[in-house]
Parts: sequence; structure tokens; C-alpha cells
Amino acid sequence: MSIMDHNGGSVIAMVGKDCVAIASDLRLGNQALGISSNFQRIFPVTDRIYLGLPGLATDVATLHERLRFRLNMYTIKEEREIEPETFAHLVSSTLYEHRFGPYFIEPVMAGMSKTPSGGLKPFIAATDLIGCLNFAKDFVVAGTASSKLYGVAEGLWEPDLEPEDLFETISQTLMNAVDRDAFSGWGGIVHVITKDKVITRTLKARMD
Amino acid sequence: MAADTTAARSIVKMKVDEDKIKTLSPHLLMAYSGEPGDTVQFAEYVERNIRLYQIRNLYALRPSAAASWIRRSLAESLRSRRPYSVNLLLGGYDTATHDPHLYWIDYLGTISEVPFAAHGYGSYFALSLLDRGPLEEGLATLKRCIDEVSKRLVVSPGNYKIKVVDKDGVREVEL
Amino acid sequence: MASADGGAYSYSLTVFSPSGKLVQIEHALAAVAQGTTSLGIKATNGIVIATEKKTSSILIDDSVIEKVATICPNIGIVYSGMGPDFRILVTKARKSAQAYWKIYGEYPPTRVLTQEIATVMQQATQSGGVRPYGVSLLVAGWDNHRGPSLYQVDPSGSFWAWKASAIGKNMINAKTFLEKRYNDDISLEDAIHTALLTLKEGFEGQMTEKTIEIGIVTVPTPAELEEGKIGGETGRPRPTFRKLSEEEVRDYLAL
Repeated sequence: MSIMDHNGGSVIAMVGKDCVAIASDLRLGNQALGISSNFQRIFPVTDRIYLGLPGLATDVATLHERLRFRLNMYTIKEEREIEPETFAHLVSSTLYEHRFGPYFIEPVMAGMSKTPSGGLKPFIAATDLIGCLNFAKDFVVAGTASSKLYGVAEGLWEPDLEPEDLFETISQTLMNAVDRDAFSGWGGIVHVITKDKVITRTLKARMD
Repeated sequence: MAADTTAARSIVKMKVDEDKIKTLSPHLLMAYSGEPGDTVQFAEYVERNIRLYQIRNLYALRPSAAASWIRRSLAESLRSRRPYSVNLLLGGYDTATHDPHLYWIDYLGTISEVPFAAHGYGSYFALSLLDRGPLEEGLATLKRCIDEVSKRLVVSPGNYKIKVVDKDGVREVEL
Repeated sequence: MASADGGAYSYSLTVFSPSGKLVQIEHALAAVAQGTTSLGIKATNGIVIATEKKTSSILIDDSVIEKVATICPNIGIVYSGMGPDFRILVTKARKSAQAYWKIYGEYPPTRVLTQEIATVMQQATQSGGVRPYGVSLLVAGWDNHRGPSLYQVDPSGSFWAWKASAIGKNMINAKTFLEKRYNDDISLEDAIHTALLTLKEGFEGQMTEKTIEIGIVTVPTPAELEEGKIGGETGRPRPTFRKLSEEEVRDYLAL
């Protein structure tokens, strides 16, 4: 059994029309034994960037603390909020620092990035546990249910979904994928980030 | 919060009145289990540091802050040459916000705030029971858990020490 | 305590004199004031930094002397004072810019790099066994956040943002000249000419493309920005700072 599967849990992010969504399950387990059905693994980074950290739960906490530290230093030094692209590189380099003794996390990011003309455009990215970046244009997945998430997302996702439709798509993708995964599930949470607000909803799921 | 009082080496019971729940501060309890030796070492290390904080700052760490500190200690230990193998339950009453907190922490530094928790072999029985049991009657439900473990677990321990922490502080209770 | 020989507080470690001065830093500023004049002007659509490149002998090959240095594709600096000290700072600044790139995948904003250089210079005023850097710098750059910006850094490690400034031998005169010439809606072309005129004021000898150096910051057009930070087929960021070639300098001098 891999360390990556020790606690279970999955995250997915999707691009929509002028919006992005990120979602995860809420299970924390110890191998096959469920410990908590309210384990938050998605964290707000700025008003319009969210970060999901699926993988080993101790590293979820440690990496979150580390990134929060580096991000606070950035914000103070640069006197501005970080952009999603820059943040993705920060996550990547933080992970690569531990190339030969990694944090067992495969981060997923979703956010709205500023365009030169002053608008906002959707941004998603994911990395592996040593920080190899993947800037996808449609969706990214990670965690114990990643293979199932790929399958469902491939079937349900379409371009230019409005926020409400994107919410429905990502919720269905998450729920149906984690129901086929023994290590994910036990409730879910979805954040839809639009130009002017973030919609957060918890999902009722199978609790077995 | 309850823990059995058995200290065993291999198949032999060495001691039957071991207290495995430390009082870290007036409103904070920590139950621990794991590798013999590591447990007491780590528990005392935590106890002294929490006490030091209290002496320096003239007030105790709140449960959430203490939990974060303990988690970090374990997470740092995990990637050291010889990690502590200690699993913990941390229960406390926050005197600032007047609410109780319970944290499940394992030797990896995993932390989760939960309504009920258990470590060890007994956890398989206790957690299943707690999923259904009424949490309003804490001590009665706790007794049912202990009885269940005694009934079903092959290597069930004989005695338990039970401590309660609430707005009045810490006290030991008998069932 | 700034007597002719510097008094008892003028050696080795930077130590406060009883009057509260750091005489070593004042000496460093004196070294800067002996250096050749450099200046920078911020225009509406860019920045120009310029300096005179004087050699002590006609036998020196001046084509390899570099006084305006590119730090990264969006930032360049020029100095007055001691050349060798400048070289060290350039190396450190370039390293710092690359270290920033390794973490964030982009080059530092002008202000962040300036602060980094200023920190290096400040540390030399407080560490044992070293002397302060004998240079003042003008840092010119462009970034997404603040647009074009021009900073001056002194040996003490203090730094300010300027619309236009001059450092080195003729700085007092040059600054007075710039104050008269500067206005808030000056274009980059006009700023380059103003820079040349200002240099000419205190110039000894003939001003040619061999005896001056110019660097410019240009502001990317909205179209260039929309295209993204990758420019051309090399996959590198499109540079916003560049040094003018001798031909370009000659053309500006001819006008």
C-alpha cells in the first residue's frame, strides 16, 4: 500500500466560462478505517485562488503551513496579492526543494488570473509530489480517486460552462468518482470562483 | 476521555495502574498510546513545554493552539532520524470561547478535530458504536464503548482510568 | 568628527562617531562624488539611464568597458563610483534575479530587486571586516505591478524612487539642470535627448558613442502584453530593458 493512499482523499478542478471550480471529498482515513468526515483539504490562498492538497494528511497540514508562510512573506515584500501563475510556480519550487524526501501531496490549484487589459481569466494547475507543473486547459484531478475522476470528467466536462452548470458538472464528477473509490468520499465540498465572488457548497454524499 | 491502565511487555502485564492521560494545563487533557518509552518521553516533553508557555506568558495555550504545537512536534519528529511513535487524543475546554474541543492526532502528525475519537485495537469497536450512540450522554456512551471492547476484544485490558475536562477543569471519574 | 583625516572613527568597522555619524559611509559617498556622472530620467513611456565612460588613457580599449549593466530582461543598472565594487553588485543582483526566477517562474519587480541590492549594501555597513560599497546606483526597470520605475541606491543602503536623478561628479549641477528640464509628460525620445544634454553640461572632452553609455526601459504595448511574457521562438520573456548600441547612440548624438 502506497503512502499516498494512507489517508485517502481526492481533489478536482475545472475551468468554466469566466469561472473555475475546485472540489474535494471530506474523508480522513487511517488505511481502511474512517477517522473523520469533515477533513478540509482545500484552502483559500487569496480572494480568488484556492489550493487543494490531496495525499498524506500530515503533509496536508505541514505543506499548508509552509505555503502560508512563504505566501505571507511574498505579500508583505511585494505589497500585492500573488497571481495564480506565480503561486503555481511557488508551490512547484516548494515541493521540488524536497526532491529526495518529498511531501506526499499532489496539489491542485484553481483561481482567476489578471489579464493585461484588466480582466480576469480562469486558471487551473496541478503538480505531482515533486512539483512537476501541469497547466491544463480543461480539468485537473489528483488523489486516490484520480483515475475514476479522469473517466467521469472526460465524459461530463464541456467548454464554457456557466458557474451553476460548472457546479453541477464538478459535483457529479466528484460524487460518482469517489463512490467507486474506497478511500475517498464521506461528503464533499465545492468552491466555484467567479469574477466577483466565491460560491462554496457542501455536498451530501453516501456515508459508507 | 478514557484509557486503559495496563502496561504490558510482550504478553505479560507489568503494571495495572498506569495513568496514560496527562493533564497538560487546567483545561487540557492528553491521552497517549504507542511505542513504550516513546509515549512517556514525548508526553513529558509536551507537558513541560506547555507548562513553560504558561509560566512565560501567564496564561495557558488554548486547545487549538496546543494541538497545532503538538502536531508540529510530531511532524518534525517524523522526518528525523528516529521518530516518536506516539498516537494522541487531545481534549480541552476553551475558556475564551467556552466550548470543548477534541483532536485526533497520530504519530505522523495527522490532525483532525472530531466529535469522537479512538486509537488502538479498541477503536474498531468504539468508533462503530459511537457512530450510532448518543453523544449527549458522554459518560454513559463511553461506558458502553468500554464494555463493548471488554466483550469483543481478545486482548481486552482490565481497568480504565477516566477523566473529564469541562469549564470547571479536570477531574477523574469512576463509572 | 569629519576632520580631514577622518579622525578616530574612520577605520575598518563602521562605528558611530559621538556626533552620531558613520564616517565610513560619508567617505563612501565622497568616493561616489568623485566618480563619473550618471543619470536617469523616467518618461511617460519608458526610462533612460546614461553615464559617461571615461578612460584614463587613450590606449585603453574602451569597447569592453561596461558601466550600464543588464540584470535581467526587465531591469538594468548604472553606477557612479568604484568600478570593481559595481561589478560585485552586478554579479549579486544577477544571481538574486535568477534565484527569484527559480522560485516564481518570472523575474523580480524593480522594487524587489532594488531592495535586495540595497540590503546587500546595508549589510556592508554593519558587518565586520568589510567596507561599505563605494558606489551609488540607478536601477531602472519595468514590471507588471508598478510599470516603469527608477530607483537610486546609496552606499548606506538607503533607496528612493525618482522621476529623474543624477549621481557622481556633477550631480548637483546635473540635478538642477534636470529640475529645469523635467516635466511629467516627457516622452522617452525627449528624455534621451535631455539625458544627453545633461551629460554634456559637465562633460570634459568630446562626447561620442565611445564615451557614453545609454540603457533604456520601454513599456510593452497592450498587444505585446496580451501575447504573454513569452516572446519569440526562444521561449524567453520579452526584454523591456536594453542597452543602446553604438550606432543608436551615434544617431541620438547627431540629432
